[in-house]
Amino acid sequence: MAKEKEPRKPFNLKKELKLAPGYIILILWVIFTIVLLGWVFGASFSTTAEIFQGKALKFESGLHFENYAKAWNGSGVAGFFGNSLLYSVVSCTVLILVCAPAAYVLSRFEFIANKFIQTGFVSAMGVPAIMVVLPLFSLISGLGILNNIPVAKTTLIILYVGINVPYTTIFLLTFFSNISKTYEEAAAIDGCPPMRTFWKIMFPMAQSGIVTVTIFNFINIWNEYFLSLIFASSDKLKPVAPGLYGMINSMKYTGDWAGMFAAVIIVFLPTFILYIFLSEKIIGGVTGGIKG
Amino acid sequence: MKKNKTMIICFTLPATIVFLVMFLYPVIRTAMMSFFTMASVSDSMSTWEFVGLANYAELLKTSIFMTAMKNMLMIWLIGGIGVIFFALLFAVILTNGVRAKSFWRAIIYLPNIISAVAFANMWIYYIFQKRFGMIHNIFATLGLDKLARTDYMNGDMKFWSLLIAFSFGSVGYFMLIFLSGIERLPQDYYEAATIDGANKLQQFFHITLPLLKGVFKTILTFWTVSVVGFFVWSQMWSPVNSESQTITPVVYMYNIVFGNTGMSERMPGKGAAVGILMALVVLLIFFLVNRLFREDDLEF
Repeated sequence: MAKEKEPRKPFNLKKELKLAPGYIILILWVIFTIVLLGWVFGASFSTTAEIFQGKALKFESGLHFENYAKAWNGSGVAGFFGNSLLYSVVSCTVLILVCAPAAYVLSRFEFIANKFIQTGFVSAMGVPAIMVVLPLFSLISGLGILNNIPVAKTTLIILYVGINVPYTTIFLLTFFSNISKTYEEAAAIDGCPPMRTFWKIMFPMAQSGIVTVTIFNFINIWNEYFLSLIFASSDKLKPVAPGLYGMINSMKYTGDWAGMFAAVIIVFLPTFILYIFLSEKIIGGVTGGIKG
Repeated sequence: MKKNKTMIICFTLPATIVFLVMFLYPVIRTAMMSFFTMASVSDSMSTWEFVGLANYAELLKTSIFMTAMKNMLMIWLIGGIGVIFFALLFAVILTNGVRAKSFWRAIIYLPNIISAVAFANMWIYYIFQKRFGMIHNIFATLGLDKLARTDYMNGDMKFWSLLIAFSFGSVGYFMLIFLSGIERLPQDYYEAATIDGANKLQQFFHITLPLLKGVFKTILTFWTVSVVGFFVWSQMWSPVNSESQTITPVVYMYNIVFGNTGMSERMPGKGAAVGILMALVVLLIFFLVNRLFREDDLEF
């Protein structure tokens, strides 16, 4: 993505006035988003009683950090959080190791299966998850491994990897085809075998694409819900999304709203922090893989 | 570069195996399953009983499934119009020289990175909350008592609150697609039009819109895929039992295959048929869109 650094525009009242309706719509939309997130963030430091009195953001009884402690330990967010972290980090790593070589070969070499694999991957991106979930469930439940926690966690990671392979491969494929071939040609002349050339030269050169696609995979896997709901049946296996869903439902009986909002913020924070630092990269990457 | 057979095989094999196991095999098996009945998803193929198109025929006669289809269609159509309108509007505003473009863009896209469970929770327990929620407070301040007392999480309002919350979160993603489409349009068209005296509105309708054909194609396809998979939001809106206002085909499938409260019989064959129908919906829209927006070989 090209960095777009526009020179500071001189202030021109007439021009800015023309844009006023645009600014008003943008401001309203953005204020709404910020109030929505801000209120929930504030309420997570309040108490349930104050929330119900409509005084969530007055903090008359001070800031209640214990909401977070309660959600983290008492409601089991810690476990879900740990699971999600494990699933996301391992899956993202495996995805790159599986997809980067495939994407590279598909972008560089012509062979009979090439077109077939690419078409398959592109169509797989449009396949609704419900098309694949039934046979996978019968396959995995047939193996009878979901009761063994470490094995079940590995199975989940394999599922997260599998479901993201087509997208990751296609994304990196576009990226590799934009890298000039002269580097490999030079390496070949110097006698470097092609596989080594890939790991030593091309892989590092594709770093920025790899980082972008990894951020996307991380966010996707962190927020993944449908597969987790079906395959992570016990609380020991659940990542944050179905974990939070279960908590919200049980909250109805315990009535700990402040704790619930704290849990929501904990789930939301990792991807939000990533976004604060990398929003430009993420935004640039959204449309990177799409050809209009 | 030739004779790299080993490399080609070593490098593509893992990804291809994953594709075959995770996509090709399941899609084929789901398609077959939809013509059979069985007691449970994990039953082996030998115990399946062939029923032809009976699963499909029964689905079309099941009123709750048809309600689910109707809900999906409404989300697709009404939500789609809203989402595309705002996405295009923001893309146009942002490409017309407003200040702090990346700031606006980042905030509008933000909902897309939040877990849907967390984000839906914020809408349900803050925006639409009937005692201290944002909408309640706004109407109460304005003195509109009747609107302030409406419960947006109940009855017919439930569908609309769901639709609004889901669509709101989707705008940012489609805005980015429009943005990149508009930014790729050649600037000289606009310069020429300005010299000829066309105003911004005329330029939008006669230059931007016609040139965005390809982008519309992408957007409609992606929107369809996302509506067909509609699941989390629906579950969040009616967590205990799926209610007719918010049920969608995927939720229905989940209920009849993996069982939920109030469903005694499990019908995996029918569930598979739902899956196939959804895939057909995506394909149908894809072909319609491709016919409607046929590329005129515009090159720029």
